[in-house]
Amino acid sequence: MSGAAHPDAMAPPQPGRTRTAPPRKPSSWPAHPRMRVYTLFGLTGVVYFAMGFVLLYVFWQLGKGDAAWMSVMASMTSPFFIAFHVLSLISVVFVGVRFFRLFPKSQPAKIGPAKPPPQPVILAMLYAVWIGLTGLFVAILAGGLF
Amino acid sequence: MSDATKKFVITRFDPDRDEGPRTQEYEIPVQSDWKVLDAINFIKDEIDGSLSHRWSCRMAVCGSCGMMVNGEPKLTCKTALSTYGDTVTIEPLANFPTIRDLVVEMDGFMDKFKSVKPFIIVAKERAVEEGTHRQSPEELQDFKQFSMCINCMLCYSACPVVANEPEFLGPAAIALGHRYNMDSRDDGADERNEIFRGEGTVFSCSYANECSEVCPKNVDPAAAVNQAKFNAVVDWATGLILPRGGEE
Repeated sequence: MSGAAHPDAMAPPQPGRTRTAPPRKPSSWPAHPRMRVYTLFGLTGVVYFAMGFVLLYVFWQLGKGDAAWMSVMASMTSPFFIAFHVLSLISVVFVGVRFFRLFPKSQPAKIGPAKPPPQPVILAMLYAVWIGLTGLFVAILAGGLF
Repeated sequence: MSDATKKFVITRFDPDRDEGPRTQEYEIPVQSDWKVLDAINFIKDEIDGSLSHRWSCRMAVCGSCGMMVNGEPKLTCKTALSTYGDTVTIEPLANFPTIRDLVVEMDGFMDKFKSVKPFIIVAKERAVEEGTHRQSPEELQDFKQFSMCINCMLCYSACPVVANEPEFLGPAAIALGHRYNMDSRDDGADERNEIFRGEGTVFSCSYANECSEVCPKNVDPAAAVNQAKFNAVVDWATGLILPRGGEE
């Protein structure tokens, strides 16, 4: 097995009379496709963290006037920021798809007397809302609505 | 009739002689219809009687024969040997202390199980003449899936949170508590939701979903844990907003 698990993982509150070998983590974790997906899911947090700083910087520059704002907008066309935004988009889509896949089964069996719709219907509703909102924002940003 | 041979790399640990776990290799003739457990039993019966492992029913009901097979938690009586190559690695369940060879310490697991009050709690005992507790098939359907758990502990071996947070209640125990919370005959949801809102319980789960991926009975403990999160929050909010904490 790979690394050591926490020494007290699944240990009984009172040690028994027999000496035991300490718990180990599964060796499949670093290499297993499922664990790679889970690790990538966690790593997207770094992208969102960086995106937060970019947004703060953009808002900061917005407060400094037109020239600063135009300078920021110009910098966004650099290959670095284009690559960063592509990475952010991939991260959002990846987390969204993973979240949508797991969300339906997390719903309670019922809320009061009401039961949630079947899982495929919930999944379809999530994608419909996501696609609808994306279309709305694209229309706003393209100047089609305002 | 023997079809081929396979090499088995098995973790051995004798608390009286070994400093720590070591591996031992066995090359044995195997048959195409064998499960992994058949091979381990062959080694125990024909080659090395000192090898220790747990097993009982051989039909995925008792939950005794859980082990790591090529690094993944598997119920060895249900896992076809033919799905593996020439070398098969067998280890004790990950995340558990090992007592001997492939036998793990279960007391910590049992303590976590007991802590969720895994029994029906009734607010008021009914007299016999009041009749039996009736439950419709629809009510049974709300929790039936979670009652299929055989306590094989594979989900604890697969869970990345269990490996790092020893106080984490874990998938099977939470699924069991949730199973009773969903039972129409039970009145103990408030008590269990209070446990679920405590440290190291449902909110420690990061939804890796590994427990459900490895469950040999398709119980889906990850669904139970995350439904329990929702119910624990609703229970807390209800107690906050409604007069007398929502008690009738």
